[in-house]
Amino acid sequence: MTETRRDQQKLWLILFQIKGVRARLNSLALQQSLFSTLAFLIGGAALIWGAALFLSPLLFLFAALAVAMFALAGIVRQGRRGLRQLANSDRAAAIADQRGDLKGRVATVLALAEAPKRSPLWPYLVEDAYSRREEFAPARIEPRWVSRSIFALLAAGLMALAIVFSGLRSGNQVRRTVAGSARGQITADIGNLEIRPADPALEPNAEIYADEKTLRKLEQRLAAAQRDADQNGLSRWMNKARNLAGDLQNELTGQKTENAGPPLQMRLTDRNPDQSDGSASNPSSQNSSGQNGSSASRANSGSGTAGDGQTEPAPPTTSMPGAEADQLARNKSAFPAQPGPDPADSAFQDFAGGGSGGGQGSSHGSGSDPNGLFGPDSSRTLGADNFKITIEAQASDESSRSGSPGYIPPRIRVPLNSDQYPDEPLERGSVPSADQAAIKRVFQR
Amino acid sequence: MNEAEAATLSEKPSIADFARIFRRVQGEVHKAIVGHEQAVEELLSALFAGGHVLIEGVPGTGKTTLVKTLGLALNLSFNRVQFTVDLMPADITGTRVILGGSEGRREFSFQPGPIFCHILLADEINRATPKTQSALLEAMAELQVTVGGTTYPLAPPYFVMATLNPIEMEGTYPLPEAQLDRFLFKVRLRYPGEDEMVRIVSSTTGPEEAGVETVFPLAEAASRVEALKRLVREVMVAPPVERYAARMVRATQPENSRILGDLHAPVHVDAVNRYVSFGSSPRGAQALIMGAKVRALLDGRANIDYEDVDRVAAASLEHRIMLNYAAHTDNVDAAHIVEQVVKAVRTSRQ
Repeated sequence: MTETRRDQQKLWLILFQIKGVRARLNSLALQQSLFSTLAFLIGGAALIWGAALFLSPLLFLFAALAVAMFALAGIVRQGRRGLRQLANSDRAAAIADQRGDLKGRVATVLALAEAPKRSPLWPYLVEDAYSRREEFAPARIEPRWVSRSIFALLAAGLMALAIVFSGLRSGNQVRRTVAGSARGQITADIGNLEIRPADPALEPNAEIYADEKTLRKLEQRLAAAQRDADQNGLSRWMNKARNLAGDLQNELTGQKTENAGPPLQMRLTDRNPDQSDGSASNPSSQNSSGQNGSSASRANSGSGTAGDGQTEPAPPTTSMPGAEADQLARNKSAFPAQPGPDPADSAFQDFAGGGSGGGQGSSHGSGSDPNGLFGPDSSRTLGADNFKITIEAQASDESSRSGSPGYIPPRIRVPLNSDQYPDEPLERGSVPSADQAAIKRVFQR
Repeated sequence: MNEAEAATLSEKPSIADFARIFRRVQGEVHKAIVGHEQAVEELLSALFAGGHVLIEGVPGTGKTTLVKTLGLALNLSFNRVQFTVDLMPADITGTRVILGGSEGRREFSFQPGPIFCHILLADEINRATPKTQSALLEAMAELQVTVGGTTYPLAPPYFVMATLNPIEMEGTYPLPEAQLDRFLFKVRLRYPGEDEMVRIVSSTTGPEEAGVETVFPLAEAASRVEALKRLVREVMVAPPVERYAARMVRATQPENSRILGDLHAPVHVDAVNRYVSFGSSPRGAQALIMGAKVRALLDGRANIDYEDVDRVAAASLEHRIMLNYAAHTDNVDAAHIVEQVVKAVRTSRQ
């Protein structure tokens, strides 16, 4: 009787120890699931936030989708793995047998503990397993208290910190750049604008000033762009995706609320007033036909990121009905006065026509053509090209059709800050005729 | 060993007794047999597991010597039948003969054949016709012989060791599957190595013969062996291990070779589907478990483990797998199939 009771006590101790092993194994499995899920969540969120900060809208969209899918798959996988690792008593006993090299003793004790009829060898088995209880102590079967996946969580946290830190630093630089630039005033030529329909979800944040004729032209080009967008499904979807991504980026980075400043003021000029029809000179139309690259200066109508130095301003441009255009044309005196001949116009003339050799001799002395080295003295007052477009833009290939020419950045100049010197041609002086032959020989080489 | 100890041993041997006796018999056999350690261990395992053994080996590898030595060491009655093509069933089982009585009456009397013994060596069993081979079936499976409508029980322990010569195939009759299935293990005797060959030469060409001693007294031998066989059956098996053995047997069957041990990681044994016509019967699983039980006792355990099953898988399953022509063409043997199966099932367990 006493022997039987002693056997029962030993059996109870063995079973209790198996429960301890099970508890530890399950604790680790749950920890692994939890830590891995958190690691994927934190890492994924940090990557998406970093992508929102540093990538262009389309790239951000693809990157965010990829990261989100990867994180989701990882979370599901780790969750399933954790569930699979949860051990019942049989599994815990089997693991104890395997790791303690107990040759099935513990699992057999557990399996046959409740058997109605026991083998005559049962006391031997219990005694045998009991004598080896040190070999399947929970601390020996699973020495770890904390799952190794905590390292993944730490790594994800560090990565998130690094991204947040670099994002904050980048944001400060942007704010400094924005603070140093004159904001909200753009002068652009209508011929250099890529015009496409605005996203209705975006709030207008730009005011356009132009003469009536230019506004009419703008209206025509808007209509043409609308037609073009309606006809081109892929382009429409690309624009929608870009708009969505840009909006999401702004939501994530909080720039919409932070940088929503005064509306952007754009003075619209037309250096080719005779080209009345937008379809002929419309760069977007040309774009869609794949014959010509277009220069684009896009006013960000919703997010206010124009001029804040971000990677790319939100795409939609101002959409403007005809009546509004008339109203704006009448109000153009509200735009800051530009004395005399419009310097912005001349600036654009200079920019737009730079490739054809401006009459101001700016092409002289460039290249290696010695015949153009010595022209007449500069008669222009230096530093007169005071056109200013306060928009930050980056060159990117936004052509939505294969084969269409790449995106050409707008010809703009950011006003110089106090630490900078104007990027102007050197004043041309007279060269003694005796030296001209020698200089010419040098350039001929 | 005094009488009391011997009596206790014959009634209820312990696990330690089993291992000790097993090793002692093994040692006695190895006095006459050089090498073949694994074969001898499998042979003894089959004996204590209550099964029969099919021994396959080329001539001169010690098949007959092995069996004779075992009978001598165990001190059990031993008969040898050389199977030939003209051997008749009655030559094995015995027959009824007319004998004259004391009162002048003549009566049919049963003259037992060589099958009536404890250890029977059926030498070159594949040389006899299937009819004669089948005469062994009843004796092997049910420990009885029926002659002329009368059933004669065989005295336990009853142990058949049949030898096969794999190189002389002309004039032989391959064993029917039903008979093959009744052998618990198939043991292969391979050519000995160089060192073993030297020991064989030196121990068999001298003036002295190997002095094999009996392990049991003649009167107790049968009961002692029976007690050890009962002990083997007492070894405990956890249900997962039984399932493991069953899964292994099913894996040898082409129609069941896709093992759903783990729903997330099903195991598929390609070799079985490609090369096997018929897999093992449930007797294969019984052989796995019984062989594993002997292994467990030898290891001092009262329970069997997965490793025990793995270790006896080759001996238990090889002769139960019928290969197809593709296997012969590709030179694939049953050992390879069993190896693949064990590997796959073991992986599915982890």
